[in-house]
Amino acid sequence: MEGNGFTRRTVLRAGVAGAAASALPLVNVHGQTSGGRLALGLWDHWVPAGNDAMRKIVMDWGQKNKVEIQLDFITTVGNKNLLTLAAEAQAKQGHDVLSFPTWEVHAQSELLEPMDDVMTRLAEKYGKVNSIVEYLAKVEGKWRAVPAISGSQNKPSLGRIDLLKQHGGIDIQQMFPANDTAANVDAWTWDAFIKAAEGCHKAGVPFGLPLGTFPDATDWVGSMFRSFGAELVNAKGEITAKSDKVRAVLDYAQRLCQFMPADVFSWDDASNNRALISGKSALIFNPPSAWAVAKRDAPQVAEQCWTFPAPTGAAGRFTPYLPYFWGVWNFSRNKGAAKALVEYLSQREQAQTMVAATNGYDIPPFTSMTDFDTWQKEGPPTGVVYNYPVRPHHKAEQFIADYPAPPNIAVQMYNQGIQAKMIARAVQNKEPVERTIAWASSELEGFQRG
Amino acid sequence: MSQAVISPASAVPQRQGAMRRLARRNSTTAFLLTLPLILLILGLVVYPFLYALYLSMLNKRQTRFIGIENFTFLFSRETFWNVVFQSVVFAVSAVLLKALIGFVLAHVLHALPAKGQRKWRGMLLVPWVIPPAISTLAWWWLFDPSYSAFNWALAGIGVDPVPWLGATGWARFSVILVNVWYGAPFFMIMYLAALKSVPDQLYEAAAIDGASAWQKLRFVTFPMMRNIISITVLFSLIVTFANFDIVRILTNGGPQDSTHVFATYAFQVGIQSGDIPLGASVSLFMFPLLAVFAVLTLRGVNKRTKEMS
Amino acid sequence: MGTTAAPTTPFVPAQRRIGSIAAERRWAMIGAYIALAVFVIFFMTPPFHMLMTSLKSSGEIADLSGNPWIVRNPTLQNYWELLTQGNYMIHFRNSIIVTLSTVIISMVVSTMAAFALARMKFWGSATLATGVFLTYLVPETLLFIPMFQIVGSMGLYNNLLAMVLIFPTLTVPFCTWIMIGYFASIPKELDEAALIDGASHIQMLWKIFIPVALPGILAAMIFAFTVSWAAFIYPMAFLVSSDQMVLTVGIVSDLIRADTFQWGKIMAGALMAALPPLLVYAFLMDYYIAGLTAGATKG
Repeated sequence: MEGNGFTRRTVLRAGVAGAAASALPLVNVHGQTSGGRLALGLWDHWVPAGNDAMRKIVMDWGQKNKVEIQLDFITTVGNKNLLTLAAEAQAKQGHDVLSFPTWEVHAQSELLEPMDDVMTRLAEKYGKVNSIVEYLAKVEGKWRAVPAISGSQNKPSLGRIDLLKQHGGIDIQQMFPANDTAANVDAWTWDAFIKAAEGCHKAGVPFGLPLGTFPDATDWVGSMFRSFGAELVNAKGEITAKSDKVRAVLDYAQRLCQFMPADVFSWDDASNNRALISGKSALIFNPPSAWAVAKRDAPQVAEQCWTFPAPTGAAGRFTPYLPYFWGVWNFSRNKGAAKALVEYLSQREQAQTMVAATNGYDIPPFTSMTDFDTWQKEGPPTGVVYNYPVRPHHKAEQFIADYPAPPNIAVQMYNQGIQAKMIARAVQNKEPVERTIAWASSELEGFQRG
Repeated sequence: MSQAVISPASAVPQRQGAMRRLARRNSTTAFLLTLPLILLILGLVVYPFLYALYLSMLNKRQTRFIGIENFTFLFSRETFWNVVFQSVVFAVSAVLLKALIGFVLAHVLHALPAKGQRKWRGMLLVPWVIPPAISTLAWWWLFDPSYSAFNWALAGIGVDPVPWLGATGWARFSVILVNVWYGAPFFMIMYLAALKSVPDQLYEAAAIDGASAWQKLRFVTFPMMRNIISITVLFSLIVTFANFDIVRILTNGGPQDSTHVFATYAFQVGIQSGDIPLGASVSLFMFPLLAVFAVLTLRGVNKRTKEMS
Repeated sequence: MGTTAAPTTPFVPAQRRIGSIAAERRWAMIGAYIALAVFVIFFMTPPFHMLMTSLKSSGEIADLSGNPWIVRNPTLQNYWELLTQGNYMIHFRNSIIVTLSTVIISMVVSTMAAFALARMKFWGSATLATGVFLTYLVPETLLFIPMFQIVGSMGLYNNLLAMVLIFPTLTVPFCTWIMIGYFASIPKELDEAALIDGASHIQMLWKIFIPVALPGILAAMIFAFTVSWAAFIYPMAFLVSSDQMVLTVGIVSDLIRADTFQWGKIMAGALMAALPPLLVYAFLMDYYIAGLTAGATKG
């Protein structure tokens, strides 16, 4: 309680208000129907225990509110979640509540029930959400979905303590200890990054940074671009690729690629995990899932893992962030119950349960929820995920690649991995930077089309 | 066959009457018999196809009719023409290799003594019976940058690791390799079946005329197998052109879109980037490309069939 | 292979000539076995690796120090867990239900149609026969979007039955083609005679064509079986609840957690999934070949 700086009184008041607010829709449900049925298609958690914890929360709620629940966990493998979204949007039937990844709230906004009431109540209780979430889920001033406390993830650096100390010349535990006393965070720059990358490359444990078209690649590359202040399309939708900052980031990326495996251009979201788990790589950008698997399959690797933020650049520090959202279809036949459940799931207690159940994997959208002790205690090594949520002393922002381009353009940039492709062209084809930028501009013109 | 014991003593006039009655009943019965097929095709292929055609003429949010704008847009994109080129390279080379390997294997199997044949045939069929979506995953694991068992074996003989999916050339090679691996057994059994149907007398006659092995192949086997080769190649070409799983799982079109084929590109544009009409346009582009080839092939097959009977 | 011996043969005595033919044969056989061995190695390498991986614990799979082609501490854990925990058995059952239903539907539809198209010339029959094959030109990746609406309007979204409805579009055209060819090869005298005997078309189909063309029907059946057993895109798009999934999509969706693959179980699941089609082929292969023969050369 001391930690978050609330006085006892405000906490109490907030607690009462919170209870009242969360009770309100539940009362409505009771009054409205005997509950009815609710079909949920939630994100299939990458940490297996996550599904069980979520099922229990949802089922308990269903029992208490006499709502019959059908719960499916929909995997992201093979983009099954996107297929499901497309299917239900076309068929106008299916689940009542679905998990919406990054860009899909905008894509389906016409079919989504506004969530402003829920978001207002949540914001009153838990404070502001981060700006990325707002960018992705607030369409024309209306919240079309609620940022999910489960499934949303950061993708900060996940490195090997021993290898980085030995070959990279940096002590990451000293830079980012498992508490807020760090004084040294400013030393973690992209320049320090490339130096460490060079050392690890020479020692045969290169950084494993994918450069294909899968999200892991797009996410870290997007943050790097932003960190250099390089923007391809601005908030108005104008192409701004021809800039010195873009040239600078491409130049940097070219140098960085000398110190990486030759085939990173086809790596997918699992390749980097495997590089780390196999002991072949000193650093990747990933949520703690890679560490969790290492704990099971390669404990000696896991003991040396440490999560810490992305490096900082001229324009700041941006930690890759991949949020999920819960949306209610407007063709749902039980919208009241659906919204009530979504609101219930978004409460602090549920967030805490999920964070604990998933070894700290889930990143709740409210900054006020980054104080759970799971992130402190998880290990070995103890504190491995302490710096996984963005903490104030990191001086970092959560970031989604291609922000602030208008979402209908950004979604194409994101899914076709245009930034990573620019790097690939410059490195693999040894193309002059100007030609790469010209190519990107022409691709972007294609994306601009409505 | 026992039901077919028919009295040979049927008189001629009676026979003609039967044929006339037959003609009248013919079309109604024939229509009823083909009705399920027609319904299936109309309902689940033609209608959705027309609907997709309509979809391809809408704007991104599917709110406005824009005619052929999606197509003209595609034609103006360099990436799209790369996809066309890669699809053709992928499908044509994979089908040629499959046809060749299938042909060789069918011949070799056919030459084996009957009792050993089954065992070999069984082993050679294995790639064809494992669901391809999953066997491709197994290949992918063999190609994995960190865990590649191929690279492990290559390291054993002192060869540097190969970026199986990381460099354009290798990635194209790998997706074709996996497709050949999966599809060659299908050609093999189709050809084997055709080989078995060539009457032995034809070969004996050719042998008496002093034909060489090549000549037997050229003048006896090949003409007898032409139809099955055409049909198999056509079928495989269509299916390979439309292939989705292999590229999707192995490379997702990368590196730098250099392995994208129609289906994966359509998926990326349509489902992932939320432009379903444009995705439909990409998929539709395959249709005219193959339709010409298909109609020509099928016409050839029909002609030869008529000549034969 | 071995053909180089041919030009010399006329000049040697009969005795030698027979010997050289025998030698030629022998060399041809050796060549054949070498070719076979090469391709068996090519074809069997991934399945062999799958088998090895399926017998490993996840720790052994992640360990890079050993030879990936052999298993050091074999375990049946992966198989055992698939068979006793999770939904693998449900997916297996669903696959069997869908596949058998699809096979039956495909057989009924294509046998009737093939009979009509092969024997009863009617208006548009030639166009229809060609058109049937052309349906393959419309790819699944294009069809599944409109199909969402059709399936949705029938209330079959996320329902196993939708697969039974859709899979025949994948199987029926090719089956019909095989059978048209087979039926065409049955002598016309047979059915004319039957008609004169007063048999109806249906009786003729049932009592003459089906028994005579059984190998062809079996061939079509095996094809339908393989295709619907392996289908991936449609189940991926239409089946969401784990209890409705078939094997292909079930394995992918239950055994992969985004960037975490349970390789041992995936391989074990794939190998077990290959068993039913393998058994079908083992038992019906000879029929299959005989059936394709007639269908192919004449069709």
